[in-house]
Amino acid sequence: MSKVIVITSGKGGVGKTTTSAAIGAALAQRGYKTVVIDFDVGLRNLDMIMGCERRVVFDFINVIQGDAKLKQALIKDKRLENLYVLPTSQTRDKDALTQEGVGQVLDELREEFDYIICDSPAGIERGAHLAMYYADEAIVVTNPEVSSVRDSDRVLGLLNSKTLRAESDGREPLKAHLLLTRYDPARVAKGEMLNVDDVLEILAIPLLGIIPESPTVLRASNVGMPVVLDDKSVAGKAYEAAVARLDGEQIAVRIDTEQKAGFLQRLLRKSA
Amino acid sequence: MQPVRTEEAAVEAVAAIKPFQIRGRLFTAVALRLSAGPDQDFYDALDAELRRMPHFFDSAPFVLDLAQCQDLADRDAFVALIEGLRRRNLAVFGVQNGTSAQTALAVQLGLLSLSGGRDAPLDRVERKERPAPKQAAPLRPTAPATLIVSEPVRSGQKVYADRGDLVVVASVSSGAELVAAGNIHVYGQLRGRALAGANGNESARIFCQSLDAELLAVAGLYLTSEEMDPALRRARAQAYLANDKLCLEALL
Repeated sequence: MSKVIVITSGKGGVGKTTTSAAIGAALAQRGYKTVVIDFDVGLRNLDMIMGCERRVVFDFINVIQGDAKLKQALIKDKRLENLYVLPTSQTRDKDALTQEGVGQVLDELREEFDYIICDSPAGIERGAHLAMYYADEAIVVTNPEVSSVRDSDRVLGLLNSKTLRAESDGREPLKAHLLLTRYDPARVAKGEMLNVDDVLEILAIPLLGIIPESPTVLRASNVGMPVVLDDKSVAGKAYEAAVARLDGEQIAVRIDTEQKAGFLQRLLRKSA
Repeated sequence: MQPVRTEEAAVEAVAAIKPFQIRGRLFTAVALRLSAGPDQDFYDALDAELRRMPHFFDSAPFVLDLAQCQDLADRDAFVALIEGLRRRNLAVFGVQNGTSAQTALAVQLGLLSLSGGRDAPLDRVERKERPAPKQAAPLRPTAPATLIVSEPVRSGQKVYADRGDLVVVASVSSGAELVAAGNIHVYGQLRGRALAGANGNESARIFCQSLDAELLAVAGLYLTSEEMDPALRRARAQAYLANDKLCLEALL
């Protein structure tokens, strides 16, 4: 049975698109046929992060408006067998999205894919609303700071009221997971960032994973590669663990950091 | 109990300096527009309406709008009308849009002559009417109207208990708002705003397990988080009105 998962946050710049790419790639690595859809119409970023921006011919909006077939717009990832991207339009805006159009495209995708990952734009307006509307599950991406947590809280309120699952009686409510990104234990220790317990107490949803702040994330984005494909990245490992939990595996949440690795490397270098 | 006494003393000290305070205050009254002289049909229709919404009109301040009832000029008929309304627990206190003779008569009878006023927005009236059929079920005329919320109240959400108490068995996030005609109870963290006694009920109170509210208000008198005693932060606390002041104290 296929699942539609929205990656959302309310606030911008917390790592939604990075997370969409990483989770899509990790699901594909686990053998699930996965498509990642960019709902950020007008600010096309997902295809860049996934390294397929030069292969975009038709997009999501073309499909919604009937100008292209879904098959023509889907881009197959070159590295992973099961991974596809449905890019969005750079020249249109969010008004080009219609509720019926999005519903039809998602229905068509459900027939073929195990997982459909919707990369939501920031904010709570039309684009974000339609990205979450048909979702079965949500991954709420939050940074450990107050404004991000407050925005995530707002989005959780919308997920519980403004989605198809919330509106239809008798359906199981949408399942929301928390993904804490850009987590920096050193800054948490100094009190510059909220700790995990504070965030969990405020948001009161299950924790899917903690992604440590890591330079490998930006490096991966720059070369258009989902960070899970970087074997050395602790952030990539953390995303893999989060996806394993999403898939039902019981793995304890732990926080690895790049600094630790750097410290060890320095020691090794010294002893060498 | 100690802090309350100090507050009373403070109020008395203020009172000694100035024997009264003048404040502008807005009240909501119900306008009753008669379309003809008050005959038996009028009273039957009125009684039917009162049975439909027994609480809404109970002791409500009433203004008679005589715009469409210019022929009512007889003093006895006027007295009978006022008595008829007061017998139904409707507190008639003024008239509006009458002829000069009607207005003079009303003033003689101790009513106020009012001008102006604005109709309340229709959606508010509708909201009050919609739940009415359920509330006015003949077997339970005073059915409790407590609203119980067991999901977290998120930032940007507003929960409104327009007829009674509001009980939240979860956390209330900062940026969320609770409004109740009666008391408010919060059994999770209260980080948002809580406004009890929203219709002016001064005996309403707010109770919470862990106080971290942005704002607390009872019947329009409020405290912001900066004005709250820091010692009560995250404590079990209640807020209530005493001597026209919003008091906040720890629950033992």
